[in-house]
Amino acid sequence: MKIFLGQLKFDINRIFIRNFSFLFFSLLMPAGFYLLFTKVMITGTGTEVQKFQLTYMGSMIIYSGIISAIFGIASLLKTDRDKGFLCFLQLTPHKTKYYYFSIYMLIILLNLVASIVLQMIAVVFNGVKINFTQVLQCMLIVVIGQLPMVLLGTCLSYLKKQETLNVVSNVIVFPLAIVSGLWWPLSVMPTWLQKIGQVMPTFFANDLLSEVLLGEKLKLTNFIGMIIWIVLGLIGVAVVLRFYRKQELSS
Amino acid sequence: MNKIVTTRQLKFSYGKKEVLKNVNLTINSGEIIGLTGENGAGKTTLLNALLGLLPSNGQVEILGGKPGGKKARQKIGSMLQGDMVLDNVTVIEMLNEAASQYDEPLDVEELLQKVDLKKHENKLLKNLSGGLMRRVTFAVALVGNPDLLFLDEPTVGMDAQARKVFWQRIEDLRDAGKTVMITSHYLEEIQQTADRLLILQNGVLTFQGTLQELQNKYKKTVIRFKTKLALKKFQKMAAVISSAQTDAEWICLNSEDGDETLKALVPFLGEISNISVQRESLENIFLKMTNEEELA
Repeated sequence: MKIFLGQLKFDINRIFIRNFSFLFFSLLMPAGFYLLFTKVMITGTGTEVQKFQLTYMGSMIIYSGIISAIFGIASLLKTDRDKGFLCFLQLTPHKTKYYYFSIYMLIILLNLVASIVLQMIAVVFNGVKINFTQVLQCMLIVVIGQLPMVLLGTCLSYLKKQETLNVVSNVIVFPLAIVSGLWWPLSVMPTWLQKIGQVMPTFFANDLLSEVLLGEKLKLTNFIGMIIWIVLGLIGVAVVLRFYRKQELSS
Repeated sequence: MNKIVTTRQLKFSYGKKEVLKNVNLTINSGEIIGLTGENGAGKTTLLNALLGLLPSNGQVEILGGKPGGKKARQKIGSMLQGDMVLDNVTVIEMLNEAASQYDEPLDVEELLQKVDLKKHENKLLKNLSGGLMRRVTFAVALVGNPDLLFLDEPTVGMDAQARKVFWQRIEDLRDAGKTVMITSHYLEEIQQTADRLLILQNGVLTFQGTLQELQNKYKKTVIRFKTKLALKKFQKMAAVISSAQTDAEWICLNSEDGDETLKALVPFLGEISNISVQRESLENIFLKMTNEEELA
């Protein structure tokens, strides 16, 4: 436990406290988007506006999760590996288990903080009503919904060049956000794109959040969809790791 | 002395390229070992295989277990090539992080003093010079209080003062009974510190022994002395003398075997003075060995 707490303190300092840009993109940017879209660029009847203020809050929570997982985890793991830190830990008695646990936990915690910050903004600035149970349910969905993203970030961290990682991260994050309806409703997109969007992990998480916030019945298909993505993510990490080791030994 | 590292027929290949070829070596407890060889000879690969970072063929026993085993990880410190210049991390945070990974680490404050980093402890790693960063990496290798240390090109980028501090710490480690294996291209430094030398050439361990043993293998020696006797008295004194020159009262003998020539000089001891014996330096021997390999 002492080792884990030490690792946590070390990572909090370098990832959050001395890294304002990461907090800005993961926390403040989604909050800014939320305020912009719900206070300035909004039309519709009172009920429609209220519904949009709730569902868009959910979308921005998921968007924050994608940013911290893809840009945060992928870049952090890659940098630590390239700079020999993971190799150093691999040679210590406890290897890398506390390291990975600390990094994943902090990124998920950051997404939980983003979820609370966004809910507070929604309550204070837009007067939306969310009860305690909904807050807890949202947190649970955030944690489960973040897992496929974290695994995807881990896979991306094995890309050889930092430049490639930057390009691939951008190519994934923004289209993924758009296609799964985080920025604009899926209904405004062509049918074929909607079909793609509806099987994305971010769509399942976003849909579940909307159901919780609007007080609707939770669809089992969304849970199944997320579990399938978690399993695919685990398989992806195993395959990438195997490929990486093989490549390392042949060059 | 206890054998702390033993390899038998150790082999490793990157794809089809054989990098280590049947390496048999032994390292005894408390020894300072200098590992040298040309770029690409396999030094780093050998260290990585001993650390368990690479899966190798052949037998490797390290601290009574397998490379990379839990006991080895607890008792081995390593300083690999390249430094862990992590973003947003200070020197003291890096050392505390490293210390927290071990059961019985050294006191970080004391270590900072020892490696002359105390005044830099609150600096971010990314703001350190290359030499200072190398010192941090050395401190990280020491912080777990290891019995066995692997240091890969440890003094690269260090200035003369830092190098001096570094070699003093190696002497401290020797006094504390620690075992150290150092790879370096600074042969004169290795020559001064190492108890034994290992020379790797193209993946083959071509020499394993003391500097004296290596010099005996390459016995070429220059013997210089002052005398009033004629040069010709010394020219045919021993068959091993390859050439002789004179300059005023000085005579310089180039010998293929220094010990034989010195023995032959004994009858003249009353008539010669200021004798100096210059054996082949490790650098010259190393250059000869690599030239021989190229010619072969």
